[in-house]
Amino acid sequence: MALDRSVSRRRLLQLVGGATVTAGLAGALSACGGGNGSSSSGSPLKVIGAGSQEAGLRKALDDYKKAHSDFDFNLSFSPADQLQTALRAQLAAGNAPDLHAVYPGNGSAMSMVQLSKANLLADLSSQSWTQKIPTGFKGAFQNDGKTFIFSPGTSVLGAIYNKKAFATAGVDVPTTWSELLSVCDKLKKKGIVPIALGAQTPWVTQLIDYALVPGTVYAKTPDFDDKMTAGSASFADSGWADAMDKYLELQKKGFFNDNPNGTTYEQATSMVGTGKAAMAVQVSAVLQAFRAASPTPDDLGMFPFPATDVAADNWIPGGVVVGIAVSAKSKKADAAKKFIEYCGQPEVVNAWAEAVACVPLYSEGDAKVDPVLKPFLPYLKDNKAVPFMDQRWPNAEVQPTHFAVVQELLGGKSTVPAALKKMDEAYRKTA
Amino acid sequence: MTVTAQAVRRDAVKAPRRRGGGIAPPWLFAVPALLIYALVVLYPAFSGAGSAFTDWSGVGAQRSFVGLDNFQQLFRDDQALGALRNTLLLTVAIVVVQNGIGLLLALGVHTGIKSRMVLRVIFFAPVVVSPVMVSFLWKYVYNPAPDAGLNAALGAIGLGGLRQDWLGNPSIALWSVAFTVIWQCAGYSMVIFLAGLEGVPAELHESAMVDGAGTVARFRHITWPLLAPAVTINLMLSTVGGLTLFTQIIAMTNGGPGYATDTLSTVLYKQAFVFGKFGYSTAVALVLAIFVAAVSFIQIGYLRSRETAA
Repeated sequence: MALDRSVSRRRLLQLVGGATVTAGLAGALSACGGGNGSSSSGSPLKVIGAGSQEAGLRKALDDYKKAHSDFDFNLSFSPADQLQTALRAQLAAGNAPDLHAVYPGNGSAMSMVQLSKANLLADLSSQSWTQKIPTGFKGAFQNDGKTFIFSPGTSVLGAIYNKKAFATAGVDVPTTWSELLSVCDKLKKKGIVPIALGAQTPWVTQLIDYALVPGTVYAKTPDFDDKMTAGSASFADSGWADAMDKYLELQKKGFFNDNPNGTTYEQATSMVGTGKAAMAVQVSAVLQAFRAASPTPDDLGMFPFPATDVAADNWIPGGVVVGIAVSAKSKKADAAKKFIEYCGQPEVVNAWAEAVACVPLYSEGDAKVDPVLKPFLPYLKDNKAVPFMDQRWPNAEVQPTHFAVVQELLGGKSTVPAALKKMDEAYRKTA
Repeated sequence: MTVTAQAVRRDAVKAPRRRGGGIAPPWLFAVPALLIYALVVLYPAFSGAGSAFTDWSGVGAQRSFVGLDNFQQLFRDDQALGALRNTLLLTVAIVVVQNGIGLLLALGVHTGIKSRMVLRVIFFAPVVVSPVMVSFLWKYVYNPAPDAGLNAALGAIGLGGLRQDWLGNPSIALWSVAFTVIWQCAGYSMVIFLAGLEGVPAELHESAMVDGAGTVARFRHITWPLLAPAVTINLMLSTVGGLTLFTQIIAMTNGGPGYATDTLSTVLYKQAFVFGKFGYSTAVALVLAIFVAAVSFIQIGYLRSRETAA
């Protein structure tokens, strides 16, 4: 019996050893084979994009590859939170992809200002398209006078709504806060959830505040961000309190779906797409996801979410969408820069912007804009659009704090003054 | 004659112990392994620990020495203190309930029932599933809609009044996560207890039965004392697992709603990768490591003494 055991143990070791060698050889052979379609001129350009830019970035890369036979790329996408962790780890280790997603302005750990301060992004200032960046948007693209990212344009934030649901309740698009409450009331009485809110997904929590504060804060104090920077203003003593009160008013009146803190972005998207809910406050960049969730995509529209009863004060949030940048340590920086130069051509800007439902950064002649966005264009023309608030926040802590306090408010575990106090404390921390 | 657990252990103590022979242990053979361990574990750990005394953002070369500032901030940080509270609550819940259920399951499948092997496999099955998959599975179960998941099941059996927003209500989200962990890991505790039960000599139970001992008396005086090593292992593993719980929380709630399910592990992750404060995050990690080590040493010291007493 003992002999049997020793023999079987030896046999087992032989088997394990054999399996290990086989696996090693297989790995070595597959490594030799490549297998990702690299071109003869070398390994492909590694590109990681944010999920929301997929349609535009993929099209630009495909078109560029068709025109340049020696160019190849290896493209992957990540949701915003995974991008933040995986990409930051790669950046820290010095092996970031050649071309990767970067958020415009400041305010997050993956933002242009934070990464360029750490010398992780290549300077794009010598490219001709950078001269066309509108003055009002330069802060989103540039730090210390140098341009570090390319972005196809601006996304607007408002209510994506289901026209059939509105028709069922016999209501029209509201233009003031009181009209909005009245519309929600009528929808609710018809058994339709007025506003779908997927607040379990952290970034969704901020959107209603972002939709309201242009009206409650910036229409009255356009230089609010400068005052915050100078320390002469605070969230707690500003129209942010009014915006959060209104956010909670919508909840108290039962205008959200049940349990918004337990509902995800995907569930909320599906609710609007299928007409179970009438609208959701969202950025135009995710319109494609709503269309994909709807059996009749043409029934979806978008309107500016009114924050006040004075129509003239109802400004809109409109921010530069997530862009791409070249890693400063990339060995293929030249190829990556050439691709970005290509992206800067007006027709490419237009095509990318159209694919992600945003307004092009610039255009030659009439830009092709998704018809759904037309209600927002007058606001952009009249300078009544405010960049997404986090793009001017000084560190990466304010935005996650905002997510958390909104969830606490919706869960009944905090008050508006306490929530804004936490945001003020996060704002005052060093970058 | 009454055979007791103490008598069995005394015999074990008297057994001759193997001592080292004349040949020195071949420590040289351990050198390659030790070198690899030093390279991939010790070096990164100690070089990383140095970051706890800096304001490094996690990317770039810019950093400056800040002394003990990060540690002082940690003990003033409401979020970190709240996370410590959540960590302790989760750990206590997991240690008590998981091991309690694990022990009951082990006792149940250690009997002569016909389906015991199938039941063992069923109870152990969740352990071999990835924690991320289990978390997503339970996220569906915890769907807050009245006609979905657990809420639908409650409605179907006439308990509709107990429907909850399981992961969205800050008052119960932590316990929903704890339940998921317990559901997955109770089978693991069961297997360790089962191994302990297999080592309890059947003769002890037989002679105790002859002496008229009932089920409870036999469990108290024979099974429980001889299960002491299994109890030690289970308590140690579940305590360390509870104190360092991360995957299920990130996958199910991301620490929310608000800060309701944040633990020290999620706080250090967020500080490093979301807030861009790698130095502070490392300070949290260091404190967590020291805390886990201290709790483990105290716990193992007590449990070992209990084993000896038994």
